Amino acid sequence: MSTVALRWLHCNLFAKPFDAALSLVVIPALAWAIYASLHWGLVEARWEVIGGSLKVLMAGIYPVDQIWRAWFALAMLCAMFGAGLGLAMRPGRVALTAVASVAILIAATVAVVSGAGAGVLAAGSAALGLAAWSAVHHSARAQRLVLPGLFAGVAAIFAVLSAPGFEVWGGLLLSIVLTLTVSILSVPFGILLALGRQSRIASLRLISTAYIETMRSVPLILVVYWVWIIVPLLAPDTSVPSLLRGMAGYALFFAAYVAEYVRSGLQAVPKGQIEAARSLGMGTWTVNFDIVLPQALRVVVPSLVGQILDIFNGATLVFIIGLTDFLRAGQMILADPQNGGRTYEIYLFLFAVYFAIGGAITYASRRLEAHLARGSR
Amino acid sequence: MTMQIAEAPYITPTRRRVLVVSRWCLQAAIVAVVAGLAIWLALAVREALARKGIQFSFGYLWNAANISLSEGLVLSRDGAWPVLEPFSPTHSNAQALFAGLWNSLKVALTAIVLCTVSGTLVGIGRLSTNWLVRNLCFGLVECVRNTPLLIQIVFWYFAVVLRFPPANAASGWLGGLIASRSGLFLPGLAVSEDASLASQALLVAAVASTIAALVMRGGRRKLTCLAVALVALALAAALGFPLSADLPVATRFGARGGFALSPEMTAILLAITVNSAAYVAEIVRGAIDALPKGQWEAAASLGLSRSHTLRDIILPQVLRIVLPSLANRYISLTKDTSLGIAIGFPDLFNVYGTVSNQTGRNLEGVIIVMLTYLALSWIISACVNALNARINRQGGTR
Repeated sequence: MSTVALRWLHCNLFAKPFDAALSLVVIPALAWAIYASLHWGLVEARWEVIGGSLKVLMAGIYPVDQIWRAWFALAMLCAMFGAGLGLAMRPGRVALTAVASVAILIAATVAVVSGAGAGVLAAGSAALGLAAWSAVHHSARAQRLVLPGLFAGVAAIFAVLSAPGFEVWGGLLLSIVLTLTVSILSVPFGILLALGRQSRIASLRLISTAYIETMRSVPLILVVYWVWIIVPLLAPDTSVPSLLRGMAGYALFFAAYVAEYVRSGLQAVPKGQIEAARSLGMGTWTVNFDIVLPQALRVVVPSLVGQILDIFNGATLVFIIGLTDFLRAGQMILADPQNGGRTYEIYLFLFAVYFAIGGAITYASRRLEAHLARGSR
Repeated sequence: MTMQIAEAPYITPTRRRVLVVSRWCLQAAIVAVVAGLAIWLALAVREALARKGIQFSFGYLWNAANISLSEGLVLSRDGAWPVLEPFSPTHSNAQALFAGLWNSLKVALTAIVLCTVSGTLVGIGRLSTNWLVRNLCFGLVECVRNTPLLIQIVFWYFAVVLRFPPANAASGWLGGLIASRSGLFLPGLAVSEDASLASQALLVAAVASTIAALVMRGGRRKLTCLAVALVALALAAALGFPLSADLPVATRFGARGGFALSPEMTAILLAITVNSAAYVAEIVRGAIDALPKGQWEAAASLGLSRSHTLRDIILPQVLRIVLPSLANRYISLTKDTSLGIAIGFPDLFNVYGTVSNQTGRNLEGVIIVMLTYLALSWIISACVNALNARINRQGGTR
């Protein structure tokens, strides 16, 4: 045993003089960093601040007496996430156990922090997600229902959450719902732009290219801010909520990126496919929608899933139009003089949550890529 | 058989003419619809602004801005010579936007240089034979890429830079670098007042010939240029060297002398550099992985060490592969400077927001800002394309 360990050390840390020198520098520094952070995390940090402000972080200033609506949204999101997982991943014993134990851990923490009722609701949502995962994986009929279910789910979340008004949406819930909505909205527009850029009609090609290139060279924050400013000018009589204006800005911006991904997918479809379809007498629309797009979209699914991460990361910019997303909620808590010294606790928590969600999206994207690559071989 | 097909073409001339005409009609219709939409949008916005009493015109650019910016230089005239001077509220709106652009470019250019160097190191680190280094680099890249840039900027500002000690309590590291909550102070270079004109001219000549040595091709010319540079430098030193190190000296509220970076600038520079370095590392690692394994094996069979292989065989080829991806990264980085508004850094977008709040001129402002960002993207692409062409031409002749 010890010879194995020594061998590993020799091969991986002390193979050459340079490696040994690097290791001798890195190991003490790392040990000190780990010691210092453990000491801070276990002894000095006051984690109560997270527990005390968990509601603000998760749902912003959503009215407390209406909070069941946020719970409903969580359950829907879990179910939708589970269903999506069911399409991509087999609920094997290891994966199921891992996800379930993480869910139980979170639910237990929630129960300790905000009472048993909240814990039960969190556990119930997680269970719904797990059930959706295994149901979708095992039943072909459920798989066909995933896409319509996704739209219905988003519509239901909007219908339920919007009762107290769009202004009170906030926290992580806002970030996630915004990400989900923008991901869905930007895809059809992006596909149309990509087809326009590939079109045989020169003017369509020119306009699509101009739109895509302009959007890709200006910052997201500018587009969101400007759409937010411009909508009330165009429709002076109606008041469109900031959230919807913001979503429009995000969708217009990310559609350009979707278009570029889809275009790379379109180029990956062999020309013979189009020629074969044409020789069978199919028209332009039939060729595009029945032959080219299904194959192109299959190739770009991993990139589109990866783009969800960009949208989620970009969702932090809604502060510019006065919305309180997850990051903003954390900053609001820090602005309270009572929590003035708790900077590191709050930021570490924000980082951890962002990293967990971002890492999950990246992982899903890589897995899908491997999955599809295997299928095409 | 073939004759029959030739005599019975699929499309008769009449039908072809109809097709051509209908395609032109379609083109015209599309152009008309889109142009109509754009004109309607512009007119509606203009009308809405007119109802608020704001006429569309760029004349406001020459009015006094009446805003204050924490930093930023403007271009003004001292006699016939253009000079850079700090922005003050009496300057015009156009000057304010210029100061914002100056700040954005300052961050973007510094970050481009820093992130390329550190990103390449981290990218190589990810392929290190040392397990710890490899995994630390991997962890760093994943942490940075999977969290929003905005939280990184805010974290660097509120949790790192503003937590530095005050300037008078900060210890000077590395012979003069002061990291304090009132900013980062680096040792700078100062022109001595008593230096003779001849020695200054000689120093300029030394710098010029060093640059010439870098640009020139051919070993002998390079050597000549370097020799000229050395001689000029030696002469300048003999005549009383015109430059001296200007070390910052801590005072109560900051530091005097040296090269000062404001806390906001420090935070956004650190955040953007670290963030982009992670992406550059990923690009470099991908490019190294994409090279044929045979390159490593051939070098090893010739007895080259791993570091020699990396330096002389792998990296020169990697440079060629990564340039287009790096260009995209640099463009994103330049756009990312617009997040400075979250910590009060007066970049172009922040100044645009302030100016349009003051004047109510969103439409004109957004046109200027959009065109500026477009121009920046084009300039970066053009520079990298030129470099790419140059490198590939060199590779081709050898």
